[in-house]
Amino acid sequence: MAGLLKKIFLADLFQGLWVTFRNQDPKLIYTERYPEERPKVAERYRGAPRLNINPDNGETLCIACNLCALACPETLIVVTSERNEETKRKELTTFTYDTSRCMFCGLCEDACPVDALELTQDFEMATYTREGQIWDRQTLEEGPRPTQYKC
Amino acid sequence: MAATPWESDLASEIRERFGEGISATSTYLGQNFIVARPDLAIPILEFLKLDCDFDYLVDLTAVDWPKRAERFDIVYILYSFSRNERVRLKIQIADGYKPETAVGVHLTANWLEREVYDMFGVEFAGHPDMRRILMPDEWEGFPLRKDYGILQQDQRWVRENLGIESGQ
Amino acid sequence: MADTTFLDSTELVLNMGPQHPSTHGVLRVILKLDGEKVLGTECIIGYLHRGVEKIAENRTYAQFNPYVDRMDYVAAISNGLGYCLAVEKLLNVEVPARAQAIRVILTELNRIASHLLWLGTHALDIGAITPVFYCLREREEALKIFEKYCGARLTTHAFRIGGLLYETYDGFEQEIIDFCKMFLPHVDEYEELLTNNRIWVGRLKDVGILSGDECKEFGVTGPVLRAAGVKWDLRKAQPYSGYEKYDFEIPTRTNGDTYDRYIVRMEEMRQSVRIMEQAVAAIPEGPIMGKVGKVIKPPVGEAYVSIEAPKGELGYYAVSDGSTQPYRVRVRPPSFVNLQALDRMIRGGLVADVVAVIGTLDIVLGEIDR
Repeated sequence: MAGLLKKIFLADLFQGLWVTFRNQDPKLIYTERYPEERPKVAERYRGAPRLNINPDNGETLCIACNLCALACPETLIVVTSERNEETKRKELTTFTYDTSRCMFCGLCEDACPVDALELTQDFEMATYTREGQIWDRQTLEEGPRPTQYKC
Repeated sequence: MAATPWESDLASEIRERFGEGISATSTYLGQNFIVARPDLAIPILEFLKLDCDFDYLVDLTAVDWPKRAERFDIVYILYSFSRNERVRLKIQIADGYKPETAVGVHLTANWLEREVYDMFGVEFAGHPDMRRILMPDEWEGFPLRKDYGILQQDQRWVRENLGIESGQ
Repeated sequence: MADTTFLDSTELVLNMGPQHPSTHGVLRVILKLDGEKVLGTECIIGYLHRGVEKIAENRTYAQFNPYVDRMDYVAAISNGLGYCLAVEKLLNVEVPARAQAIRVILTELNRIASHLLWLGTHALDIGAITPVFYCLREREEALKIFEKYCGARLTTHAFRIGGLLYETYDGFEQEIIDFCKMFLPHVDEYEELLTNNRIWVGRLKDVGILSGDECKEFGVTGPVLRAAGVKWDLRKAQPYSGYEKYDFEIPTRTNGDTYDRYIVRMEEMRQSVRIMEQAVAAIPEGPIMGKVGKVIKPPVGEAYVSIEAPKGELGYYAVSDGSTQPYRVRVRPPSFVNLQALDRMIRGGLVADVVAVIGTLDIVLGEIDR
């Protein structure tokens, strides 16, 4: 009997509608208004790669050991180096990072012994060309520069 | 640590029943496996299913060993709900040998055997629908064979069907 | 040949997918119809084939780890756990207790995230638009925890062979506890929306029935098997990663229809919360990485390890030839095997039910096609 009454008075439907109604509270709005509102990504976020430089003298931290290139599953890092005859050390000449093939697994930053290569919190990496996805040493040190649109 | 002989009632029962056809019953890392003659695969599967309650074919796959005369390992992984036990059955076959299909024993084998055919080119005799499953029907070559390079592809197929020079 | 009148029906072959939104990816189903009735189906798969198993043979063990996340991308952590367990089995190393507990927490959180996505999209397929917003809202909270823990939301690469790379962040435990507390009332909320709803019940009850014996015959596992009355869960049957320490139930139903599978999955989410609460209350102190060398080089041999992924039994069969690269890695994907039962479930049903049955199998095409 109760079941029949529930059926006639659409109890099951009103039960669901009540849930929808409860969630109408404006405090429960979750939409982020990107790009006006910048999302704050986590500290450990694996985003755009960066080649760190020493803030005191502006020299690169990279010792050109090639470990990141070996660790990369996609082999998208190419490191070239030159031997400095005065100090007898290897010095970095070029560093190419193909972000179009990168899957941001973080194996390269794990492999880096001097914390020179790092995946940062930058996530806006879109470019208009495929070539723009291949980052050279300068881009890696300065970071991506996405176009800022004012509205 | 190498594989050690597997001593249990089940192992001795299988050895007794199939005699010469069983070349090893071993255990490695706590996992038991049987190596058998290719033509005995289906009788053993039937025996395991009907008499020993191994009623669930977990997986059927192959491994390519190009340097060996019997080039492919076909691996059947079985599980028994009532015993809560797993056992692997392996047969070694030469290239071109057509092992009998297991669809009659376990229906699961249908797609799994198609996948083995697709990837390794091992045809199963008596299979109801022996076609490629993941790769396009007209694709040439069997990708998971060791002599198929990772960058290799069916250039002609890519050109004709995708209208580009290379899929890489 | 018999006389035909204009009332005689003819068989119609209908192509569904690969772009159809309710096939959850790029599944193509060819339906043979007699009016509204389905006479038979054929699945065409492989549109997302990337050759994951071939890639495995050309990468080192550690390098292949991120690729497994891309198979079942809504439950990437479960995939990673299965692969790490398989290689650890080959290496015969013990994972520290702390790493095991954190693995369990994250895997269960991932199970919830996966089930939430399933619930939202399944309800959307059936025609209930509301649940998907709520489901994704709660899933977002889970994904935020993943992001904070390992730096990625979907393809996480959270575990490493031998244990974990990342220590928990400050406030990890509290966030898990908060999530559990926040989440349970929301499950009730979804149930309020759907469980008694007459349209929901009408669309799902007695649709796509698969009995327990048929499930075993087809090798179907996971919630589909449990909804058919078989009380079998790998976390209980063959515990891994310390699941034997936690107290939880295996929800089962008897009918084996689409509605039962929905109920089983809802209950599973509650049980996952239970496991997480127990695990987070007792995370042991200690190291998070086992005794694994820098170069992973398992001895010659092979091992099959499987775990209970959100979709069923996910197995990895790894063969080592003693080098740093796997000789062969075979993935036993639950979706692939489960999808095979689609034909049996839908034969004799109606066209509209096809959508319900595909949804209830909870397939992910990335895993089917690999």
